Amino acid sequence: MHLLVQAVILGILIGGVYALMASGLTLVFGIMRVINVAQGAMVILGAYLSYTLFSSVGIDPLLSILLIAPVMFALGVGIHRVFIRALRAESGEEMSLLVTWATALAIEGVLSVTYTTNLRSTIPGYAQRSWIILGYRVAEVRVFGFVISVVILSALSLLLARTRFGRSVRATVQNPTSAKLLGVDADRVSALGFGIGISTAAAAGAVFGIIYPFNPGSHYDLISRLLSIVVLGGLGSLGGAVVAALLLGVGESVVAVMISPSWSSFVFFIVLIVILVFRPQGLFGVRERGAL
Amino acid sequence: MSRGRWGGVATFVALAALVGAACSSKGTNSTNTKPIVIGISLSASGDFSDPSAAAKKGYELWAKTVDAHGGIMGRQVQLKIVDDTSSPDQVVTNYQNLITKDKVDIVFGPFSTLLSAPAAKVANRYGYAFIEPAGGGPAIFDENLHNIFFVQPAPVVDSGTVFANYILSLPADQRPKTAGYPELDDPFAAPIAETVRQKFEAAGITTVFKQIYPAETAEFTTIVTKLAHASPDIVVGGTQVADAFGLVKAMISEKFSPKFLFLSNGSNDPVNFPDKIGASNVNGVFGAGDWFEDEKSPGNAEFVAAYHAAYGPGPIDSTSAEAYACGQILQAVVSKVGSLDNGKIIAALHQGSWASVEGNLSWNSVGEPQGQDLLVEWIGGKLVPVYPASVALAAPTIPKPNWAG
Amino acid sequence: MNRLSAAGLARGGVVMCALVAFPFVFSQHWVLNMAFFVLMYAGLAQAWNLLGGYSGYISLGHVAFFGLGAYSEAILFSHIGIGSRGFLPLLVLPAIGIAVALTSVPVAWVALRTRHMTFAIVTLTLLFVVQQLAFNLRGLTHGSQGVSVPSPTFSLYERPFYLALLAIFALATLVTWHVRRDRLGLMLFAIRDDEDKARGVGVRATEAKVFTFAVSVGMTAMIGAVWAYYIGYVYPQFAIDPLVMIGSLLPVFLGGAGTVWGPVLGAFILVPAQQWLAYRYGASELYLIAYAAVFLAIILLLPRGILPSIADMVARRRDGRTTPRLPVGSAREEIAS
Repeated sequence: MHLLVQAVILGILIGGVYALMASGLTLVFGIMRVINVAQGAMVILGAYLSYTLFSSVGIDPLLSILLIAPVMFALGVGIHRVFIRALRAESGEEMSLLVTWATALAIEGVLSVTYTTNLRSTIPGYAQRSWIILGYRVAEVRVFGFVISVVILSALSLLLARTRFGRSVRATVQNPTSAKLLGVDADRVSALGFGIGISTAAAAGAVFGIIYPFNPGSHYDLISRLLSIVVLGGLGSLGGAVVAALLLGVGESVVAVMISPSWSSFVFFIVLIVILVFRPQGLFGVRERGAL
Repeated sequence: MSRGRWGGVATFVALAALVGAACSSKGTNSTNTKPIVIGISLSASGDFSDPSAAAKKGYELWAKTVDAHGGIMGRQVQLKIVDDTSSPDQVVTNYQNLITKDKVDIVFGPFSTLLSAPAAKVANRYGYAFIEPAGGGPAIFDENLHNIFFVQPAPVVDSGTVFANYILSLPADQRPKTAGYPELDDPFAAPIAETVRQKFEAAGITTVFKQIYPAETAEFTTIVTKLAHASPDIVVGGTQVADAFGLVKAMISEKFSPKFLFLSNGSNDPVNFPDKIGASNVNGVFGAGDWFEDEKSPGNAEFVAAYHAAYGPGPIDSTSAEAYACGQILQAVVSKVGSLDNGKIIAALHQGSWASVEGNLSWNSVGEPQGQDLLVEWIGGKLVPVYPASVALAAPTIPKPNWAG
Repeated sequence: MNRLSAAGLARGGVVMCALVAFPFVFSQHWVLNMAFFVLMYAGLAQAWNLLGGYSGYISLGHVAFFGLGAYSEAILFSHIGIGSRGFLPLLVLPAIGIAVALTSVPVAWVALRTRHMTFAIVTLTLLFVVQQLAFNLRGLTHGSQGVSVPSPTFSLYERPFYLALLAIFALATLVTWHVRRDRLGLMLFAIRDDEDKARGVGVRATEAKVFTFAVSVGMTAMIGAVWAYYIGYVYPQFAIDPLVMIGSLLPVFLGGAGTVWGPVLGAFILVPAQQWLAYRYGASELYLIAYAAVFLAIILLLPRGILPSIADMVARRRDGRTTPRLPVGSAREEIAS
């Protein structure tokens, strides 16, 4: 029982970080029907940036998010300008898959040349400290990572709920055509949305870099998880992504402790397939004709 | 319309013509003053790029050293290193190209058994000796290829044996009673711990924990939570590098410190281990290795000096030494048989023992080395050989102190 | 239609004759080795195209069946041996293809209930599920230790492998070409354009999709089996490798999805380029960046693939500038016929 509770706590903490990574992915899909396969590479890029700021200038990796996120936002808007916008009119989803895939490769290539392929990890002073709460040991860094994820996610949902930009986004997600008719500047919304999507990835990357060792190739493992999360949650649904990420985190962690880590992602994938067969639109997705 | 349609055919014809042209422009036969060309495939990207970079340093250092001393049989040595992107298709293509297109004189191995195994088959098909630094996993010896020479003291599965021998040599009151085995599902990891486990169980040490985890595991806290729960006296990790760091980091943050801790990989890395887990936490951790900087093996002092001269101060990755040793062995065998004939090289290497920085090596008919690795321990923040006594520079310090935090 | 079909036959005939003659004209090992991988990816691309190009169902899990074929071959022949001359493993390929195709039917039936991105990701999930099974079912697959397959002693080692692949490739091309003009092709195109409408007018979408999926992965499995025998060792991460998946998908989009020759053209350009770049310039570490750059450039310049884009340009020039752009799909169908 002690083990089970410990596993659940751990799963929730790590699920929060996955939720942050996945939020950008699902947001981008919601706005422009683009699956950003480079999301994992963006997380790793964020991890490297925060690693560099920490090891050369000594900026705390969690504080460095404040610096990295705006830079990555600009990068996202740039990528959208050059690659994504050029494609949208001409062809559909499959080409965006290819473009973002090539972007991921390019990022991996640049990181390999800049940093070599050695494994890195960011180790601030608190990286290996832990607290004992009610007899359960929780690593400080995971709590910080979780809290930061929750803060950013809350800010994101406030942004979507309360601002003019947020209303434009929600209108675009629900019905792109009528949003356009109502005077929403689709291009601007897409560019900003893509930028925000990328900067959440970067923020999550800074946290990821403290918890796990990483190298330029780490994005392959990440993206498969992130894709599963957003599909399970329902493509385009922010809340769905959060719930699915927590499910993934807790599920994997519990299976790992109770059965074996060899089967933990297997179990998750099977659950994913079963759910999608009965609910192809995911847990919180809206079923639109032809869209799913 | 028709132009577009015939585009495929036209391209195919053009490609065929290109290939044809490339074939007809073969190089002329080499004379005895031409350099000896050694073909090697390494991974510049992908999973194996990290250790490949270390292997490259060793190969290049050896070539430079040999050339500075007049080469082999009066001929300079030239390395032709190509990239396999950590892919088996590319590694097969590369050795095919090296052997049948570029007609290199000799080939050395890539990094990892997963790539060495298919590459060894290609080399075997053309009668090339396959002197290789890093393909010591079990599958590679299964095919009974006689051209393989694994340039380390012992096959990978036996690299924990030296630790098992040491533990079983302890007096009964110091011996651990219970053992835990976290094992990475990898040909270089789990089998090592399994070999140790069989020896320990036969000697009456109870297994209280055994867990195989997959290669993509990033989350070690769950494994360590369970391990700490079982609380074994001794932990034998069948690990690779990244997971070893993850495992130890989780043990530190879970404050689980066993009396003995052995890791098959990772803890023998003089650079990254203290870097990743914190220098204050390393003491008392055991590792096994095929090579150490302070070792008194043939040519080692020269190697270490040359390495520091070429690449600056700092610890040396053992993969560099393994690659360097491949060169030493080639040099020795070529001087002995007086030719670059791969058939003669293979026959000669199966006889006697061969001196290198990896020690004096000898192989059975399928290329398994017949020696034993070294047991090392972190003592006073340094990695020191502690067993067997013949090569030890210090006595083992037990039990392991608690984590510094 | 008849004129086009005669031209198509002639074109196919020329290509096939050239490909059959190839290993007898060029006998250098390294050339044949390169040709092997080109044909392997051309075959994978063609098999994928049958489902993905025609019906619009983007499968990211075909390589799971490639792995299934590879493991069937490896496990079978590591137990029973390859016979005296080593041709047996090539002769059983049709059996492996059919067995895997049949096995895939329930999987296809379930997976094809989802559409578009969800289907892509369900199939991607399938890839990881099968890879994990290969790792975890150690009794059968030896897990991460891998299975070694005995090597044959062919006189020109690469040639029989090449010819076996060529046969599968020819089959895939023939099926693709035939389906294009068959009722099944019409159904698949209708599904690609609007599945609900297609069902509305009486297209038996489920049967068409499941049948096509099974045929497509059956051919993929045969190619996997040849690969396993050629390489000689099967490890889970290589037999079920997302990079192989991408390698078989890129040629399709590069050459033109839904066309008969587009995927083939794509493979003939991409595979030699990639293998050659890695062999020649890989050590400079710029290989990945160069590859990504070339790739991005092609997508941005020829966003619908080489053949449809060229067809577009030619058609536009011929019809004069006043003609509006061709509606999507018509160029694909024209070029494919």
